[in-house]
Amino acid sequence: MPDIYTTEWYDSVRDAINAGVSRLRSVPEGRFVVAVEVVGDGISPYVATDATRRFLMEIDDGTCLWYRELAAHEDERAHHEGRIDYRFRGPATVFDEIAAGLLDPVDVALRGAVTVKGDMRLLLRNAEHVASLLAAYTSAVSTTWPLGRPPYASDASDAPADASSHNATGGAGGDAPADHREATARA
Amino acid sequence: MRDAYDVVIIGSGHNGLTLGAYLARSGLDVAVLERRHEEGGGLCTEELTLPGFLHNVHANYHTFVDLAPPQHDLALVDHGLEYIRPDVQMASIFDDGTALTVHTDLDKTCESIARFSDRDAETFRRLYTEAHGYVNLLLGTLMYQPPMSMKELTRALSVFGVEDRSEFLSVKLRRETIDVFLDQHFTHPKVKAHLAFHGAVCGYANDVPGLAMSFPLLVGKIDNWNLCVGGSHRLAHVLWRDLAQHGGVLLSDAEVTSIAVDDGRAVGVVLADGTELTARRAVVSTVDVEQTFRHLLPSEAVPGELAASVEHDLLHQPWSLFSVHLAMTEPPHYEAASFDPDVDRAWVVNLGYASTEELDADWRAVRSGALPGMCRPNAAVNTLFDPTDAPEGHYTGLLRQIAPYALTDGGPAAWDEIGHWYGRRCIEAWRRFAPNLGDGAILDWVPYTPADIPRKLRNMVQGDWMMGEVSLANMLDKRPLPELAQYRTPVDALYLAGSTQHPHGFITFAPAYNALQVIADDLGIEAWWRDV
Repeated sequence: MPDIYTTEWYDSVRDAINAGVSRLRSVPEGRFVVAVEVVGDGISPYVATDATRRFLMEIDDGTCLWYRELAAHEDERAHHEGRIDYRFRGPATVFDEIAAGLLDPVDVALRGAVTVKGDMRLLLRNAEHVASLLAAYTSAVSTTWPLGRPPYASDASDAPADASSHNATGGAGGDAPADHREATARA
Repeated sequence: MRDAYDVVIIGSGHNGLTLGAYLARSGLDVAVLERRHEEGGGLCTEELTLPGFLHNVHANYHTFVDLAPPQHDLALVDHGLEYIRPDVQMASIFDDGTALTVHTDLDKTCESIARFSDRDAETFRRLYTEAHGYVNLLLGTLMYQPPMSMKELTRALSVFGVEDRSEFLSVKLRRETIDVFLDQHFTHPKVKAHLAFHGAVCGYANDVPGLAMSFPLLVGKIDNWNLCVGGSHRLAHVLWRDLAQHGGVLLSDAEVTSIAVDDGRAVGVVLADGTELTARRAVVSTVDVEQTFRHLLPSEAVPGELAASVEHDLLHQPWSLFSVHLAMTEPPHYEAASFDPDVDRAWVVNLGYASTEELDADWRAVRSGALPGMCRPNAAVNTLFDPTDAPEGHYTGLLRQIAPYALTDGGPAAWDEIGHWYGRRCIEAWRRFAPNLGDGAILDWVPYTPADIPRKLRNMVQGDWMMGEVSLANMLDKRPLPELAQYRTPVDALYLAGSTQHPHGFITFAPAYNALQVIADDLGIEAWWRDV
């Protein structure tokens, strides 16, 4: 059970993605680089307030080759001829809750809590593949939360900083009260 | 004038200028050709009445400000483009003296709706909030990309389970009218009438099956109606400025009479004065499909099947707009201001439609070639927000009424007979709600009829200001014809980038932006504008 936002966790997500993709009848051809920007919102203990943690994922013929975090000053465009095909950006709490299986990523995108940039046609034409990726991210990895598992209290000071916990990520819903999840998503 | 360019663009409406500016910024040698003496197409602002009164002859409402990528990519604000977003965006004024107002402040809009129905106010808040969340996502998906098929979209919505996650997005909407959507979600006739009116001003008739699909998107930007300071033509001017600053040229009084084709490839154009211009890499038409394929291209260059489709299958809006442009000494003071004072500060005002049934009856009348049963124009006084469009202490006014292009009795030419009479009827309809607009308040006015539209702008065939019907049959990858929907044509190096293309007319920049993606792929242009 890897800690969230660790190399072991990224590799687990990658493996989960590829396990899901292997069950698909068709996948998009070609290579795609996906950037994810997780912005500190003062609530999540995993990203400092107003800081941004940046991640890159490379997908080749549907398979996730790697998923990793960029170092603080690392140029995201230093790889793959500067190519970024998609960019997802949103508050840390939202990404945490997605990873914890508490928020549905499609729902989050529809509400504008996470912005998506890139060729939307390809995303829609490969909806099964995208759905498989999202499912892997949200519910296929057993994640440990060393700084506390979402949902967090609305006051960051209430967050159980030393309360290590984990979830087996049983899909959207989790064990959080629905109103709290919604409030956190809006934040 | 040079005789060779990389790309020659026919038509200098906002799509032609936008595409030209992008390509010029990409290092291409671009010429944009305009038949008239002034660029802009529908972005024309003229002193139609008296000196100093600037009237937006066509495009008046800019609803994609800050949503359309070109506004940022081309740094239009840096070129002097300025918009005003009136606090009170819209109003509906009803015969009984009540009124409903839409504000940039959602709470105020809901307060106004709640005066008719608390439940509708709550529903509107939910709809707006939901739609506002996905408006950018949907715009990026549906408008600022070359079109997908309805089948592909429906399938993706199904896979993502959007219907389960959204109260207002349903795949069933692709078969339903806006009326049905409104009946499903709202209760009060006046609330429904106002929302249907908003759709109608955007070109979406509330009784056309399938348009319900677009309705949440329309609501998501219901408070994004912007007025171009100095007149809509200002936008054309800043687009030209960007084009020119990056080496492109705009040639006015340059009517294209034919597109030169060599061995199946568009290689240039011939102007009315006989000048031949070579296009080394591409020719782009932003004018109507009829002109491009029936008049500009040599007939042997157009495949027979396409020629037949252009002859028989093009769909135009079966309704047009009758306008009255006014020079006034005072703005309207509506009697309904005693019910809601904000109506006097509203920009776009529905004068009287109080139910969707009233709108539906007028759609039916207009499509059959008849005048609407009762004159219920919409009114706008731009000077309330932009005092530069009239002499000090004076006002410009605009009335618009849905109307047929071809009248049953006399066809389009009959408008020349009845234009002034009908204009007076529209003014009288305004006075019913704003009695202060007596003869003393109106210095001058001119009608601008559906028949005048194609006389001024040839590409608005049959007075079709959307340059193609807004309907399910003419949407996405079917617009304007399936074989032309992806901005390419059967003639190599000839592209289409005008409002005939997906998504439609209005100041969206989208046909140009989408054609740009295709042209860039074909010509190997680095897409510096793709901000991922």
